[in-house]
Amino acid sequence: MSSKLISVFVVLLSFLAFQSGREAFAENWPGWRGPNRNGVTSDTGLPTTWSPTENVLWKMPLPGIGTSNPVVWDNKVFVTASEGRDQGELHVICFDRDTGRERWHQRLWGTAPTLFYGRSGMASPTPVTDGKRLFAFFGTGDVFCFDLDGGLLWQRAIAEEYGPFENRFAAASSPLLFEDKLIVQCDHYGASYVIALDQQTGANRWKSDRPEVWLSWSSPQLVPSGDRVELVLSGSEKLDGYDPRTGSRLWTLRGLARECVPTPVLGLGMLFVVSGPNGMHIAIKPGGSGDITDSHVVWKNDKGTSFVPSAILVGERYYLADDKGIGSCLDAHTGKLIWKKRFGDKFTASPVAADGKLFFTNEAGSTLVLDATQPDYQEVSRNDIGEEVHASPAISQGKFFVRTAKNLVCVGKR
Amino acid sequence: MKLFAGCLMLVGLAALDPPYDPAPHLAVIAKTGLQGEGSAAAKVARDELAKHGVEVLPQLLVAMDTSNAVAANWYRTIYEEIVARELARDGTKWPVEFFKEYISDAKRVGRPRRLVLGLLDKLEPAFREKWLPTRLDDAEFRYEAVGLALAAGDRALKDKDQSAAKTEFRKAFESARDSTQVTQAAAKLKSLGESADAVQHLGLVTEWWLVGPFDAPQKTGFAKVFEPEGKVDLQAKYLGKDGAEIVWKRHHETDTLGQLDLNKQLGTTREAVGYAYSEFDVAREQAAQVRCGADDNCSVWLNGEKVFGRDQWLNGTRFDRFVTPIQLKAGRNTLLIKVCQGPQHKDPEVPNNWSLQLRLCDEQGRGIEFKPVLP
Repeated sequence: MSSKLISVFVVLLSFLAFQSGREAFAENWPGWRGPNRNGVTSDTGLPTTWSPTENVLWKMPLPGIGTSNPVVWDNKVFVTASEGRDQGELHVICFDRDTGRERWHQRLWGTAPTLFYGRSGMASPTPVTDGKRLFAFFGTGDVFCFDLDGGLLWQRAIAEEYGPFENRFAAASSPLLFEDKLIVQCDHYGASYVIALDQQTGANRWKSDRPEVWLSWSSPQLVPSGDRVELVLSGSEKLDGYDPRTGSRLWTLRGLARECVPTPVLGLGMLFVVSGPNGMHIAIKPGGSGDITDSHVVWKNDKGTSFVPSAILVGERYYLADDKGIGSCLDAHTGKLIWKKRFGDKFTASPVAADGKLFFTNEAGSTLVLDATQPDYQEVSRNDIGEEVHASPAISQGKFFVRTAKNLVCVGKR
Repeated sequence: MKLFAGCLMLVGLAALDPPYDPAPHLAVIAKTGLQGEGSAAAKVARDELAKHGVEVLPQLLVAMDTSNAVAANWYRTIYEEIVARELARDGTKWPVEFFKEYISDAKRVGRPRRLVLGLLDKLEPAFREKWLPTRLDDAEFRYEAVGLALAAGDRALKDKDQSAAKTEFRKAFESARDSTQVTQAAAKLKSLGESADAVQHLGLVTEWWLVGPFDAPQKTGFAKVFEPEGKVDLQAKYLGKDGAEIVWKRHHETDTLGQLDLNKQLGTTREAVGYAYSEFDVAREQAAQVRCGADDNCSVWLNGEKVFGRDQWLNGTRFDRFVTPIQLKAGRNTLLIKVCQGPQHKDPEVPNNWSLQLRLCDEQGRGIEFKPVLP
């Protein structure tokens, strides 16, 4: 082989490796709310119609209960579940993306089960992966780290180390990865805190106590702001910004509702926060220090807020379906209502978006598909999967992965 | 010839190899603990142990009888791997007798025992049905055993065998620790003309003197000290909320699970504090637990000493929400409970409950024997 040919070959390999790395990131759904933690993915080629039989590629039964969303990395789909009288039996399962075959299944004990919601048990938090390890947090106050072949690498029983969670619906916050840390928000009736664990060993990198907060089920969010990154936590009538490298608090915004579930959404240089039951939508500018309540709010809107589902930002439109089934679309710059519609039935799952479409899945298992490229409300289809759905769907590699009350269903073009 | 001798030597050496001893690897895993410590070594030990067969299960299960939650899960991953592999092949000689002995030892940790019962379901499907009804005094399996006794009672009733039904329901009532099962069994017995006092069985305190509301703006009530915390004088008169004079009033709670509604007894209010006081005799000095729940929160003094207090708001009164170990003295004991009521939630639809539920029981949740002696 000539040196020239070798050079071309090496360049080609490098390009392929780059492409494959880039596409792997873009097309995976590595944790709560997908690759960008906002429900939006660059994935394309998704079906817009399906039924219990149409475009269902495979369907696998799941043990117990749970509302964590499926996580997809390459050809692996990960799901968590819990079962038992106290929901202390924990499951982490890996399915083959293309066939649904169970690749591995770890069964573990939860340290300190709490009271729980009957559909989610201890498996509300969505696991997260960096493509090398999978991190699973449960309402029992346990964090597990596995390699992607299912080998346990470490466990932290943080409920044993810092006291059992006191939670009437079990903890639901989905952890996130930042640099070499796994960050877990632990807000509950007892001593609340946010903790950063070393991804490699599980040891504490930092722990920041939150004595002034109590119960919430919201998940943390990362926000780039100037030359720094902020870790934003929603809950207990306020929003806090932290330094994710040290755990020190940077700022606080007051005025949220009592108990928060939705995850803040980032976009257009703003952070959009849904503020708990009968609360409000608030758009803020990231940055600042101390109390930013009077200095960083861009707009507020107290109509149509949800308790459980998170909102989604696509382009310059901010969309939300509330728990009762009312959908709304706001101008993301001003917070002004553009349209409001009855979507039908109740919502627990958060919306997702891809390929110019918005997907709202209600508790009855019906997904409303909207055209996100149109200025007005434009319905594309309504698709019933035939089972109750309380978990947010994942999108990866041209397929939906929908966790129903009993099964994991893969929906894709046949 | 030399080669033959060498082979013989190798065979001989192999024959002399001692059987695998899992103890050192199990000991490595036992050292895992806080902060993920020992995980890397545990993984190596785990992988080695998982290569072996059912012969390591007895020692593994003994190791799983641990209060170390992290080590227990490392052990469990080995157990699951070995069991799955062995179930998939024929001819495995399972240590079934060891399994039965292991799960019948109620002193061992419950979870691995339950795991082994699940395996026995596959190895001897009829075993559970015979064994489970005998576990009425076993903390891990009591709930199921009581459930079976209740079901047996119902079947007897269907067969019109009242005597057998009474026996089964009595068995269920005496063994139950779960409040729902206790009240179910009590109701069944009462419907058959039998006596069954669920309040006494659970050790619920229902005899009280109450006073309040004291004024406690916003959420100051938890820290603010009012007169009853210094001295309980049931004849005293106090300055209450809005300048009203308040006095102690005697109350017997009739709720089936002893839940006291202070809004009803002391008047609907917000940003306030109420007190509940009780006295009771016990026959001997003993360790016990006070289990309580309150909305918004409560503090507990036993014989003048504060034994519990949690500064939380909007809690909801839930059965056995808080569990605190206490030491009761022989003879007379006193209980003083402070229950705070916070501000109305900004959502007017959120109910402004003000309530208390409290019981005295042993570690397993059986009410202790006590005699209320309030005037």
